[in-house]
Amino acid sequence: MLAEIGFVSTFLAFVASIYAIIAAVYGGRQHSERLVASARNAALLTFPLLLVATGALVIALIRGEYQMSYVWSVSDPNTQLFYRITALWGSQKGSILFWCFLMSLFAVGALVLNWRTHRRLMPYVIAYTMATLAFFLGLVVFYENPFERWWIVGEEAVEAALIPAGAVAPSMQRLAETANGLNPLLRHFGMIIHPPMLYLGFVAFTIPFAFAMAALASGDLSTNWIKATRRWSLVAWLFLALGLLLGGRWAYDVLGWGGYWGWDPVENAAFLPWLIGTAFLHSVMIQEKRGMLKVWNMFLIIGTFSAVIFGTFATRSGLIDSVHSFARSEIGFPMFFFWAAITVISVGLILWRWNRGELKDEHPFVNILSRESLFVLNNVVFVLLFVAIFWGSFGAPVISELFMGEDITLGQDYFLRVTPPLFVALYILMGVAPLSAWGATSLRRLGKALLVPLALTALFLVIIVVTQHTSDPGALFGYGIVSLAGFVALYETYRGASARRRSIGESWPRAVLALFTRNRRRYGGYIVHLGITIIGIGVIGSTLFQQTTQRTLAVGESVDFGGYTLRYDNFTNAIADDGRQMQIADVTLIRNGQVLTTMRPRHDIYPTQPMTIAASYSTLENDFYVLLVGWEETNANSATFKMYINPLINLVWWGGLILILGTLIGAWPTETLPVTLREPAAVNGRARAKA
Amino acid sequence: MNVFDNMRRDTIYRVPTFLIFLLLLLALAVPVTAQNSPTSGTVTADDVNAIAKQMYCPVCENIPLDVCSTAACAQWRDEIRIQLQQGRTEQEIKNDFVARYGDRVLGTPQDPTLRALSLVTPWMIAALVALVAAVVLVRWWRGRGTAALATTGSVAAPSDDDYRARLERDLQARR
Repeated sequence: MLAEIGFVSTFLAFVASIYAIIAAVYGGRQHSERLVASARNAALLTFPLLLVATGALVIALIRGEYQMSYVWSVSDPNTQLFYRITALWGSQKGSILFWCFLMSLFAVGALVLNWRTHRRLMPYVIAYTMATLAFFLGLVVFYENPFERWWIVGEEAVEAALIPAGAVAPSMQRLAETANGLNPLLRHFGMIIHPPMLYLGFVAFTIPFAFAMAALASGDLSTNWIKATRRWSLVAWLFLALGLLLGGRWAYDVLGWGGYWGWDPVENAAFLPWLIGTAFLHSVMIQEKRGMLKVWNMFLIIGTFSAVIFGTFATRSGLIDSVHSFARSEIGFPMFFFWAAITVISVGLILWRWNRGELKDEHPFVNILSRESLFVLNNVVFVLLFVAIFWGSFGAPVISELFMGEDITLGQDYFLRVTPPLFVALYILMGVAPLSAWGATSLRRLGKALLVPLALTALFLVIIVVTQHTSDPGALFGYGIVSLAGFVALYETYRGASARRRSIGESWPRAVLALFTRNRRRYGGYIVHLGITIIGIGVIGSTLFQQTTQRTLAVGESVDFGGYTLRYDNFTNAIADDGRQMQIADVTLIRNGQVLTTMRPRHDIYPTQPMTIAASYSTLENDFYVLLVGWEETNANSATFKMYINPLINLVWWGGLILILGTLIGAWPTETLPVTLREPAAVNGRARAKA
Repeated sequence: MNVFDNMRRDTIYRVPTFLIFLLLLLALAVPVTAQNSPTSGTVTADDVNAIAKQMYCPVCENIPLDVCSTAACAQWRDEIRIQLQQGRTEQEIKNDFVARYGDRVLGTPQDPTLRALSLVTPWMIAALVALVAAVVLVRWWRGRGTAALATTGSVAAPSDDDYRARLERDLQARR
């Protein structure tokens, strides 16, 4: 029954979304309020329908309805309740339904919040959001239906949504015995919330895209669409950033690479929209402040959405193979078609408006050192970074295979050659741009503003050289460039608070608080810059100074490595509650004769695959990360360990937290009171100040 | 089971290495430790991994060979070990694998055309973008005088900013 409820709800949501597109476009063109309102109602209806469909699948997973082939493929009777729920996005079919559910939630949110204020844009916002939703619902209904059930037809077991002729239902007990269980790689906290974060980011970027396209289609080319979607863009960016960070943490804990970023095509597919989205977040400020870069902003938001759809296509179609990707499937062609169609239509709309002269900038660029010019440079670097990563992940491998018949892989080697100069340029701009002014800045003024941050950077480098004995010029250059951006953010905040102290006489905490309250966007942005700086320092440390070794030790023996001593104590075999076999090594970590901790790196054997689970000892200075990679078969008297020392790696996670905090501050709604309500408060405030 | 296979091979190749190492240590009367640090003639796991790190798994695409735990990868690492023991250089080993399995075994292809396609293209695109930016900049620079004249000419018509400022002042006065 759950399968029928789920499938019918999904199908009805698909029909409602198609109706919403037609009614919205026709109503918009005919100026028919009634039709547009009807389209809105249809769009709103998709959410409860998809809530029912998703709920039906979750209940089926919890109850272990193994006759549904999706439930059978991602759970088994040993699967814990928590993992049964998260199995909703544990495989392709469920994850696309989940994507649709989130899409309808965001579409409903955008419609409800903007219905009265942006009526002119609404018909086209409905059309674009529902077109995206309808496409993904079409995939669910026609290609990747999670409500299909197992049937026995003659001698064969088949998966079908509708009962095939002459089919009988297989025995529930037999299905439960043969169920697959959740992919072991997905049984980790990072992986449980990493996909929803990425989906939220991807889906949320649909909203600014839909508003931008609505602006082009409706002719309302003012900054209305930007104002309506500023927070959506920030939220989308935040979720994508969170998804990337959690994915990195998952890779570090579960994949046993000793690192967090492998430049894998699927990782890159999620990174690409983040890069273009970041460029958009910066560039859109110029349009708001100066009425410039209208065409460029349109291209950036189209690029972001296009990268979202392309990344989804690449991950789910089988274009690339990766530990992160879903299996090859039939949805490749429809997804490619959708991606190409939506990109061509959107670019066509821009060119049409551009050609009519409706996207002209309101101000010219006045000075190369102005903030807007530096933001444009920053955008160019982001786009170049996008191109370089896209080329390495998809461009070169696909072109060489299609036109030269040669299958190639571009790995870390390529990315570490091509991307560092671009990251350096980005960090330099991140340091300089906030010090420049809108309109024009003189070189002298900019240099003067840079003096204190440069002095702080020099001091920081001296401290590194003296305390860490680092003399690698490349590392020092990297630390210098990255830390300059952070010191600029800190110094600008200090300057703002200091000015308030001088003019109003506030205490330091009150002055800082007032800064963040009155200009959340600017100072939230500085916190984000600080987070990115800390991440950058962590990345430089863990990339340039990572040490690794592999040793075989007998029980009781120890090895000295990177200032630590690792002793192999014991080996145990165990069986976990979920039935997996575990081979566990007990090791002791010692430094300067003091026992720091005992660790248990292990090897898990699931029916489908083995997994090497690392153990690590973390400090702010570094992580001692150890993997059990082999052992003597008969009595485990000796075992082989692969050890890594990852300096400063924890700064990557701490920087991520600071980045989240900054984004939340920047995106937090500012309550704007009407003048009539503000007046008494202002008067009282002035009276208090005089007193 | 790949881990067992790996261990078995490890054991086979480690026995003579360990004996030689033990003899050397005894002869030098140095306390025995569990290290198998590289000495001339010995091949350590670190030596193997240093090369494997630059290669990619034949089964699971995009996973470096030094960290992949599949049986196929364990076998490739053993091949690297054997070739190192035979005295082959890193480049010779990489050439051998490329000759047998194609350019995809390496993180960057060795074939000159493919290598150029992979590594030069992003820089060519960057150069093109820089060129376009330079052209835009020059055009802007040349047109700046005209823009300045246009701005001077429109002094009578207040700019958008002036208008906004006046509006703000008027609003303030009304409050």
